[in-house]
Amino acid sequence: MGRIPYWNIQCGIIIDILAIPVFCLLSYGFYRYWMKIRVGKDRIPLGLRSAAMKIGPLYIRSFFTRGILGARIYDQLFTGITHGCLFWGMGLLFIGTILVILNIVFGLPIFEGRFNKWFMSFTLDTAGLMALIGVLGLLINRLSPSKRLSAIKLRKGFIPMEITIIGILVSGFFLEGLRIASTVYEPGAWIGNMAAVLVSAIPNGLVWHQVFWWAHGLAALAFVTWIPFSPLSHLFLAPLNTGLSVPISGPKMGVLDFSAFENDDATEEPRLGVSKLSDFSRKRLLDASACLWCGRCHEVCPAAQTNKALSPKAVMITMSEYLNQEKYEDTSLIDDISKDAIFNCTTCSACMEVCPVSINQPKAIMRLRQHLVMEQSDMPDIMSQALKSLEARQHPFFGAASGKKDWRKDIDVPIFEKGKTEHLLWIGCAAIYEERAQKIARAMVNILQKAGVSFGILEDARCTGDPAKQMGNEFLFQEIAKQNIGDFMALGVKKIITLCPHCFNSFTRHYAPLGGFYTVISHAVMIDSLIQSGKIQIRSQLQHQAKSIAYHDPCYLGRRNSTFDEPRHALSSVGNLVEMNRSRNLSFCCGAGGGNYWSEEEGERINQIRAKEALDTNAEQIATSCPFCLLMLTDGVKKFTEEQKVFDIAEIVNAAID
Amino acid sequence: MHIAVLAKVVPDYAVPSSDFELVDNRAHAKYTRMIGLYDENAIETGVQLKQKYGASLTVISYGRDSDVPVLRKALAMGADRLVMIQGESDDAYTVAANLKLAIEKLGNVDMILAGQQSADMDRGLVHGLTAGMLGCPFIPQVSRISSENGVWTVDQIMENGVREMSVSGKAVFSITSVPENVPRIPAVRDIFGAKKKPVEKMVSVSGNGACVTEISVEIPILTSVCELIPMDDPGVMAQTLLKRLREARYL
Repeated sequence: MGRIPYWNIQCGIIIDILAIPVFCLLSYGFYRYWMKIRVGKDRIPLGLRSAAMKIGPLYIRSFFTRGILGARIYDQLFTGITHGCLFWGMGLLFIGTILVILNIVFGLPIFEGRFNKWFMSFTLDTAGLMALIGVLGLLINRLSPSKRLSAIKLRKGFIPMEITIIGILVSGFFLEGLRIASTVYEPGAWIGNMAAVLVSAIPNGLVWHQVFWWAHGLAALAFVTWIPFSPLSHLFLAPLNTGLSVPISGPKMGVLDFSAFENDDATEEPRLGVSKLSDFSRKRLLDASACLWCGRCHEVCPAAQTNKALSPKAVMITMSEYLNQEKYEDTSLIDDISKDAIFNCTTCSACMEVCPVSINQPKAIMRLRQHLVMEQSDMPDIMSQALKSLEARQHPFFGAASGKKDWRKDIDVPIFEKGKTEHLLWIGCAAIYEERAQKIARAMVNILQKAGVSFGILEDARCTGDPAKQMGNEFLFQEIAKQNIGDFMALGVKKIITLCPHCFNSFTRHYAPLGGFYTVISHAVMIDSLIQSGKIQIRSQLQHQAKSIAYHDPCYLGRRNSTFDEPRHALSSVGNLVEMNRSRNLSFCCGAGGGNYWSEEEGERINQIRAKEALDTNAEQIATSCPFCLLMLTDGVKKFTEEQKVFDIAEIVNAAID
Repeated sequence: MHIAVLAKVVPDYAVPSSDFELVDNRAHAKYTRMIGLYDENAIETGVQLKQKYGASLTVISYGRDSDVPVLRKALAMGADRLVMIQGESDDAYTVAANLKLAIEKLGNVDMILAGQQSADMDRGLVHGLTAGMLGCPFIPQVSRISSENGVWTVDQIMENGVREMSVSGKAVFSITSVPENVPRIPAVRDIFGAKKKPVEKMVSVSGNGACVTEISVEIPILTSVCELIPMDDPGVMAQTLLKRLREARYL
């Protein structure tokens, strides 16, 4: 004889009927989000191709892994486990409740036999306990909030929700205990049976059972109604946001279309960048709605960690507050976020890497920056000088003491010849104009010559335009990129070796939408493949005196382009690789990204923090594979030691070959 | 009010001297061309005055036809039109005579601004000569200009102070660089807008020229007298260094 639904309850069906208006209110609550989000613009096509499986705009894999399974949440173990317990516990209880409704409406035989024992009793009891443990853990998190939670602003609304959940769970166990105490012990219901022992002494058990039953049911309905009006809205918004995020790392700025400016028939000139909420795409507004202010981005942001004006969390908070107040057309958004903050971003993308709900913070920041630079010409002084130099001389190193050919003064470097040369060795601005970085280019030329690779450089090189793009001047980027694409086409360039991850990222991500398609190989990958194929030989005596080398992952090679293993592989063949505390996709920026190489850094220096982390490994050498990281870390290390310890991977390998 | 700014397009003035090459006594044609440093300050001053007094702003340049795209920047910064006098002379008198003709042709010019000196020849002659030929006052090294009832009040920055002056009627001011006239970077829609602004081309006349002949042009050649001692082995390095110092009888 199984459990009887509505045992001891009259008119219990009222609860089930009430679920209908509750569902309507829930839908209305989320409809309100849509009404706000639809103010944003349709998504601009990025010209990026992703092989990921999609249904409509939804990316299936990330929807399940990050959205449903919440894979990122577990990066912080305590929160991850407590959140997991609550989510899956409540999920199972929700399934149980649906089954009960199906039993009542369609007579589904759930209260019988082994299913009743193992699922309806044992599993659901355990789920309730899990959820209770989870919610208590999260309540502790909220009662003594960590730095990241309280940074900028602590989001309110969690504690009442958590207390309600506790109330629902505890009342559930109580009424289960009261029912069991008045009937028979339920096989499998281990918590219910224990609760029955506890409550058996309570007089008027049947009356109390009715009280708890109604309180439990009504509280659960109220809770569901409350979801869209509380931070718990993330139950739906978070999976949706993760599913709609393009699963390619980095902010994915795409390229802007300027043709309307030149077309006399165009009815409206496009607005460049974003100055108010309604200029953002709907996805950015969904980002702001889905953000829980958890502060994981704040915790990893190089700007926020050195007390700059920027915190990605603050950007999201400001955007969500504007959204809640329906200030769609208010251009004070930029001042509220602050111009300094907008230019502080190094575009390292660590924030989006750790975001559990796949928010694209850098893109929002970069859109605001594009507006300031392209519409208002409002930018920090040093960046404006770099941009002016880029515009006039096609390189951003204003005041450089080196000429274009200085880096190859005493060496013989082949020039790319149409139809004869296979690879274009793209030197990039830093390695041409910065004396320290010039050594990378010379080392790489030597490696390629030793390996017998067919390569050549451009006689007269310019920048890829990437610094302009990062500083928000998409227009200038395109001017430069189109000239390069024209040159490459005339020369028949198909394969490019880059020394700089920024050039690599630019060629692979931003040249293709402008019509430039190339096979691009970063020098770290090239060096590794030359070592593995035996084309360059590492001196054998090195094995005995191998140096320890700490490798710093450049954001644009690692996090942005998932090149983690090849540089490590190459370095392992010439030394003993040691890892820094923060490495691979969680690497900490050197501070130069986002055009911030050309900025006057105030307060604590990002490069010094990173240099210290590298020195703390006690490695003899610090390696990287980006000229900007090399320059920043070289400067950063100076605070702690006189010793020259920072080298590019090409320099280290070049010194180890015969 | 009609303001004219005289601007010259010059080869990149920031090329490091080690990389600088001369051809026929002038900078090699390979260097990027840009508006002169002080001329940009003058244009910026003109744009600010235009915005303040609702003036119209004309940029006048003497030089090559191929420099028009470079001068579009002045239009993007806020100038209304460009007058391009096509000529190749480097002679200050010839240039000034041509600029005078262009200013007279415009007719209603109230004020003429120019950078205090060009970024290539660095003579600081042309604006003064033009003022002389126009027969109007010339004030060099001006940092600030304001207008009241047809009288200009200007600040002239000297090495150790500021002199305030007033002048009425048409005048030529050479503009120096101060934080207030750092040239703006044009917004993107202004760059596109500049492509639609009028450019008037004028054929130059040959001037009398000064009785000055250029004999030669030289740029200092940096010779390195530095010997780099390899520092692979500190011991060897120290020995080599000692040896060299003894050879040179420093020790």
